[in-house]
Amino acid sequence: MGFVDATSTLINPRARRRRLLRKRFLRRPLAIVGLVVALTFITCAIFAPVIAPYSASATDFNALLAHSSRHHLLGTDELGRDVLSRILWGARASIEAGVFSTLLAMAVAVPIGIIAGYYRGWIDAVIARLTDVLLAFPFLIVAVGLAAILGPSLTNATIALGIGAVPALIRVARGEALALREEDYVRAAVANGASDLRILIRHVLPNMLSTLIVQATVAIPAAIIGEAVLSFLGLGVQPPTPSWGVMLADAQSYLSQAPRLAVYPGIAIFLCSLSFNLLGDGLRDIFDPRTTR
Amino acid sequence: MGGFLLRKAGAALIVVFLSSIVVFIGVRALPGDPAIALGAENRDPAVMAAIRHSYGLDKPLPVQYVKWISKALRGDLGLDSRQLPVGHTIVTRLPITLELAFLAVLVGTAIGVLAGVIAAVRRGKLSDHSATATALVGLSVPHFWLGLMMIIVFAVDLHWLPASGYVSFRAHPLGNLEHLLMPALVLGTGLSAVLMRQTRSAMLNSLSADYVRTARAKGLSERMVIGKHALRNSLITVTTVIGLQLGALISGAVITEQIFVIPGFGRLTLDAVNERDYTLLQGVVLVAATGYVVVNLLVDVAYSLLNPRIRVSGATNQ
Amino acid sequence: MKVSLRRIALLALVAACVAALAAAVAAARTTRSSADIKNGGTLTIGLAEEPDALDPTLARTFVGRIVFLAMCEKLYDLDSHLNIVPQLATALPQVSKDKLTYTIKVRNGVKFNDGTAFNAAAVKTTLERDLTLKGSVRASEISPISSVDAPNATTVVLHLKTPYSPLTAQLADRAGMVLSPKALAAGGTFAQNPVCVGPFMYKDRVAGDHITLVKSPYYYDKAKVHLASIVYRIMTDPSSRTQALRAGDIQVEDRIQSTDVPTLQKDSSVAVKKAITIGYQGLTINIGNKNGLLKPYSNVGTDIAKSQYIRTAFDAALDRTTINRVVFGGLNQPDCYPIAPVSPWYKPTTKGLACDLHANVNLAKQLVKASGIANPSVSLMLGGTDPVNARLGQVIQSMENAVGIKVSVTPTQFTTALNRADAGTFDAFAVGWSGRVDPDGNIYGFVATPGTLNDSGFTNSKLDYILNGARKSLSTKSRTTLYRAAMQIIHRQRPLIYLYHPVNYYGVTKKVDGVQIYGDGLIRVNTAGYTK
Repeated sequence: MGFVDATSTLINPRARRRRLLRKRFLRRPLAIVGLVVALTFITCAIFAPVIAPYSASATDFNALLAHSSRHHLLGTDELGRDVLSRILWGARASIEAGVFSTLLAMAVAVPIGIIAGYYRGWIDAVIARLTDVLLAFPFLIVAVGLAAILGPSLTNATIALGIGAVPALIRVARGEALALREEDYVRAAVANGASDLRILIRHVLPNMLSTLIVQATVAIPAAIIGEAVLSFLGLGVQPPTPSWGVMLADAQSYLSQAPRLAVYPGIAIFLCSLSFNLLGDGLRDIFDPRTTR
Repeated sequence: MGGFLLRKAGAALIVVFLSSIVVFIGVRALPGDPAIALGAENRDPAVMAAIRHSYGLDKPLPVQYVKWISKALRGDLGLDSRQLPVGHTIVTRLPITLELAFLAVLVGTAIGVLAGVIAAVRRGKLSDHSATATALVGLSVPHFWLGLMMIIVFAVDLHWLPASGYVSFRAHPLGNLEHLLMPALVLGTGLSAVLMRQTRSAMLNSLSADYVRTARAKGLSERMVIGKHALRNSLITVTTVIGLQLGALISGAVITEQIFVIPGFGRLTLDAVNERDYTLLQGVVLVAATGYVVVNLLVDVAYSLLNPRIRVSGATNQ
Repeated sequence: MKVSLRRIALLALVAACVAALAAAVAAARTTRSSADIKNGGTLTIGLAEEPDALDPTLARTFVGRIVFLAMCEKLYDLDSHLNIVPQLATALPQVSKDKLTYTIKVRNGVKFNDGTAFNAAAVKTTLERDLTLKGSVRASEISPISSVDAPNATTVVLHLKTPYSPLTAQLADRAGMVLSPKALAAGGTFAQNPVCVGPFMYKDRVAGDHITLVKSPYYYDKAKVHLASIVYRIMTDPSSRTQALRAGDIQVEDRIQSTDVPTLQKDSSVAVKKAITIGYQGLTINIGNKNGLLKPYSNVGTDIAKSQYIRTAFDAALDRTTINRVVFGGLNQPDCYPIAPVSPWYKPTTKGLACDLHANVNLAKQLVKASGIANPSVSLMLGGTDPVNARLGQVIQSMENAVGIKVSVTPTQFTTALNRADAGTFDAFAVGWSGRVDPDGNIYGFVATPGTLNDSGFTNSKLDYILNGARKSLSTKSRTTLYRAAMQIIHRQRPLIYLYHPVNYYGVTKKVDGVQIYGDGLIRVNTAGYTK
């Protein structure tokens, strides 16, 4: 019976906390802007086939490098394709790479990190060494290697970005698990004879959530820029599929004739990653126990 | 201290050994016949067979690995596809990237730490907000794009700086800095943004800490309080951040060298993979992995020197 | 007013003087004497790719030939009209009646760049190395040579197993470069310290970055050489190359990308030179390459391989003029044949053959229908992941879409693409060839059954007979007839669909004079220098 009471007091504080977090969030205009813009990009990515006025590969050989007009709000590129449509379609690659690579990294890194931090001992040492080996290979080289072995594609770029994010996330998860295992409620659960798995899932993981969410909002913009880099180098999305990085690579040859072709995708990358950064900053702020507002 | 160092060095050695195996297998996993990569326009089967034999590619894998690693330990990393010694290429090109990285860290630290301290001290004021905003922009802007724009403006249009390339410091000290200025700025921007935020947050922490209040109560000048404690805290922060950002710095160096056509180590790695130059790639990635482990080791040592608590308790920042 | 005779005579005299003066000035302008170029200085050339080993026996890259031009003279060279002229030899080879013995006279009193004497014995040593060194790339190029003699210091005699008309052309390329026997005998890797006869000699090299040559004190014609040194910088990104030229970091730019040519043509500090090359770019169609290069060929069964209708429709759907305009800014030379218009062989071998540079969409649609294949599809492999290849792929995709052929584009890293092409794992491959002076060099290897570059897996016994005959014949007239017949077969069966001949553009700063580029696309700077 004491145990049931303990759980109900655990649930209520959570709901109360969520309300508090929401109030704090609404007091931060920058974070709200970040959330709105990020959601806009995600919406564009999902609904690109519906929103975009043209298909991403619809060429028009009689309207090369056209300036903005009624038919083409941002003009056309070197093959007569509508730039606005390609930016909207390109959001898919960036969001997909950004979000999925982070989710992949989390899925791999969090369990490993928790195990390393919770159990310590020899398993911690082994994981630490393997993490070091992973760190010794810069993500760009891993991406190039993957592109070389499996062929360049968005999927392989996403995997490479995920691998690149894993070591840092393992360290974060490990650090959190290390701290949380000393918490009273964890000790209480151990004393009560709860299984390791139950403890990890019910007590450790939920209390790491805020840190993990913040880490995700930091990793996503890095992955968005990373995808642009890889596509720019020809290692990610392959033309004719649009991606902001591919558009920048194509624009490089036309910088003297039509510099706007490089400006639009650059701004898109900037705004997209900025929105996630603002969101992340806001979340970090509201989760911080020292915040008063 | 000695035991700590020994343990760390031992761990580093294991990592290097494991990395060498990963490199070897990874390179072999690249698709296609390396003989074709060395063949360019001529793909006569007799020539291909001769290439395969001269590079030992027709022997079993473990034999190839042992042969390679035993030669590597003696400093012989073999000949690349141009028949040039890999070791010589690495020794010539590595210092260039080290110089670039050093300048980037210098630029990033100078801007980042300074901005962070100012922002913390003038918390809530305009300078804080603008510094924070700039850091946010620096984090969000794609740096290679920034580099491209800078080349157009400063090199091609204004002719203030060279568009690409490199001259050695010994030959032309001024030219050397001219060639590396934009790349260092581009590479250091990301680092400065992260450093600015971390420094600001660390400074804010310490400025409200008890021992600072005590120092103020004791009557120490504000400048001394900020200076002494700011310095201490920022060194720890800088070391930590650099340690964590090393991977990003190396990846950033690869693309910076690509855009500015700097004959450094990063671009060497990229080219080696693209050209399927197996011998060169193996040597380069092995050196890179070893170098990274060594630098990490140094960073850990530096961190422990600055933060005695780590040394004493044996716990690490890992 | 009365015009006096005197006045007319005076005016005539003045006019004559002015005309004479103008003529003199014009003459002086066109004959820019060597005295206008000052001695000394370093010329920096931005190369588009990196040369491989600097060893003529092993070298394979096109761009390596540019560096060799300055440091490794050959028995023969090409002049600006791509005729073969003697360089280290003193005359074209004397060929015996049975075409199996070539007698070549070489120069006297010439030194290698290590001071040792150049002579017929050195030529013999080099040719034997080319034929016997393990991994020699030259061996297959001069394989008909059975032995070499050097009866005296200025005479070389080549004994052939079978007649081989492309031989002299081969001796005008890397197979004709002569290496210093002293450097060869010293052991070690020749590529790390190459020594030949040349206006410049090797100084140093950093892999992936640059190659430095310095003026040779041993060269027999060194009075004509002005520069103190040449630095070849490897700059693979075409946009960076152009920026470097505009910023003054380099003085010569190799192969300007088409999108930069108009900009540089407007730049008054830079002269843009054009070289119509002897190479081609096109699509290799996999017809019979099922088991790999030089293995038994059998039809691979794809839509485009089994149906000649689809192949013809594919060709008819392509508008070569539009491809040239959209992808290359109109700067290349659209064509349907492997031999380039700039070659003296072009006109006679393509006389009467139909080549439509525009698309015939209706014909293509009819052919697709007639093929009986519903929804034909072709997978197009591109030999690179760069933007130019991407543009080409997408334009082709659009054009084929309009006639009902679905094309999927696969950008592939170049070496991997070559690998797949040899293995036969492709439908169509967008690839080119840098071109050889002799038509055999642009045709045989790709479509003859034993051709070492026959990725198409094409085998046609009539074509083989024609091409082998053309190799053995030494008469231009009979070779012309044979190659024309060969072109007809190739054009009908389409193992390769030729799209254009690259026109290369080079940038040279106006501060430098004497840089020449011929149709072989190689940058010649041996007598170049900075203007006064």
